[in-house]
Amino acid sequence: MDVVPSLDLLGGKVVRLLHGDFARVTTYGDPEKVLDSLDVPAGSRLHIVDLEASRSGKPVEMEIVRRLATRGLRIQVGGGIRSLADARAWIEAGAEKIVIGTVAADAPEVLRAIVDDLGAERVIAAIDVRDGVVRVAGWERDATASLAEVLARVEELGIREALITDISKDGAMRGPSFALYRSLRTKLRIIASGGVSTVSDVVSLSRIGNIGACVIGRAFLDGKIRLSEARARVAAPNAIPERVIPCLDVREGRVVKGVNFADIRDAGDPVECAILYESAGADELVILDISATDANRSTSLDVVHRVSESLFIPLTVGGGVRTIEDFRALLRAGADRVAINTAAIRNPQLIADCAAEFGVQAVVLSCDAKRVGDHFEAMVRGGKESSGVDAVAWCQRAEELGTGEILLTSVDRDGTNSGFDIELLRAVTSIVKIGVIASGGAGNVEHFRDAIEAGGARAVLAASLFHDRRLSIGDVKQFLANEGIPVR
Amino acid sequence: MKTTLIDSPVANVANIARALRATGAELHVTRDTKEIAKAQKLVLPGVGSFIAAMRWLTENRIDTAIHEAVNRGASLLGICVGHQLLFDVSHEMGSTPGLGLIRGEVHKFDGSLPVPQIGWNRVTARGPLFDGVEDGVFYFVNSYAASNVPDEIARADYGGPFTAAVQRERVVGVQFHPEKSSAAGLRVLRNFVAWT
Repeated sequence: MDVVPSLDLLGGKVVRLLHGDFARVTTYGDPEKVLDSLDVPAGSRLHIVDLEASRSGKPVEMEIVRRLATRGLRIQVGGGIRSLADARAWIEAGAEKIVIGTVAADAPEVLRAIVDDLGAERVIAAIDVRDGVVRVAGWERDATASLAEVLARVEELGIREALITDISKDGAMRGPSFALYRSLRTKLRIIASGGVSTVSDVVSLSRIGNIGACVIGRAFLDGKIRLSEARARVAAPNAIPERVIPCLDVREGRVVKGVNFADIRDAGDPVECAILYESAGADELVILDISATDANRSTSLDVVHRVSESLFIPLTVGGGVRTIEDFRALLRAGADRVAINTAAIRNPQLIADCAAEFGVQAVVLSCDAKRVGDHFEAMVRGGKESSGVDAVAWCQRAEELGTGEILLTSVDRDGTNSGFDIELLRAVTSIVKIGVIASGGAGNVEHFRDAIEAGGARAVLAASLFHDRRLSIGDVKQFLANEGIPVR
Repeated sequence: MKTTLIDSPVANVANIARALRATGAELHVTRDTKEIAKAQKLVLPGVGSFIAAMRWLTENRIDTAIHEAVNRGASLLGICVGHQLLFDVSHEMGSTPGLGLIRGEVHKFDGSLPVPQIGWNRVTARGPLFDGVEDGVFYFVNSYAASNVPDEIARADYGGPFTAAVQRERVVGVQFHPEKSSAAGLRVLRNFVAWT
């Protein structure tokens, strides 16, 4: 999949409109300066929108296209192209392709004339969708055709590429409409546009069947997506499998709400459960000691030791870790990684100290987040008490201090089976580089996909869902694989 | 044939010992230079710092013992930092010479992905060590790796291709942790233990 940076032009400058509103403009400056500062190499495909033309129907920014084409950029230009004469003029100015929206929806005969004259490979059909309805003319009135009709018409004309934008998402940085793109049944090569705000969004789009390219706008201009990074990730989208992780809650040496498998002798024995999950395809095991009082510490270490003796996948252990000595004891007992929660909120230096002593790969921040008004708060004491600390800012701070990964649990969703909190996941995954394990709320296979695809999680965790056999790890992995998400 | 596991303090020896025993190896864990020099099948583990791991080898003359064993035709498997130690040099905080058993250098990942790499990664491999797992997924924890070296037998990608395993005659090394890579990792260890 190609990653195509987009420049919206107005008055000779690069700008962004929020929700297509000409009254809400952010100006980024001269196109050449913007391209230089954002490191767009020659040979790149570039998406240009002449905003004034999209409103007035008359080309305005032709001179800029002419200049940029001389830099070896492969330009696709759109905005108010309604006649063969305009289409020809853009091509003569140096554009490689033209993007036609309004006409594709309203007047197929004009589109046919353009295709016949310039050739189908020169034409990209732009289709703006809001809530499944095709929109035209710069977002200001509804078109007369349904999306399926428009796609069919475009295909009949011999056009091979369609730029599909969910305009309710555009520029709002809430992520693209994965469900829309997945639902499309067409032979057209789709260019996805709108809402792409992280490299993870780009990777997720590249995993959807017929998406040939994605357009990045605001996130590119704001430096949140670096073109080189996005292209590198998309070049090898299947190298790194996403992980499925069962979690054992252990109290006084026993699995709480034991695993409900017929072929297990002792459903409460952590060792039996661990062996079973490894053979079922678990990529890692998390043990959370929910008793974790000082009196039970030796029991807990004994559990970790016995489990690690039988396990050949990574083992992460958390629960009641207060000091660097607690941390060391768990590693010595056989944990590969140790999760810290309450103690780190009270003493953030603990993260830095453990990272310096044992390496960042051994440190996992366990963050229990609860929605409070319009933000998320980090909870302490097993999710029971608010710390007053902003959960998203805390995750970012923990990364700086030296955390290898974040286990992010939605306290609101935990135990509800209503799905992971995608908004919480996006809030964290869009600002940290380290991996995030999604936890809390898994109820069906789609939830796991959404946490990875839209939430940007690098791993998904569930406990009772697996223990109760409502889903197996194999079910989840098979579904993810079918959805194009790489699994082990 | 007995497998000799070098008892480095800069390594997670217990986990590797357990995994080797699970593959049926008759295991001997030692840091005695005479025993290492006489070994027929050696495993060199390592985690954390290349510099610390190499210093331990040289200060205790384990490096000489390893060379002696390899020169006599012993098989040697390096794991993670133990794999990196096989190379000419590592550029972890300055440049530190390694054992020089494998041509090439170890560099920090310079891609855009978070470092260290922590997690599973797909490996394309060939050769007897990977018999049955030529297209396997293995567990990695590393900030440094060799890339594009002449003795590469396995390759993975982490923001760019890197060397996941090497082989030069009887000397092999794997950048991943076979002891944490479930059945695929145990298969690699079993292949090494059974290698004749």
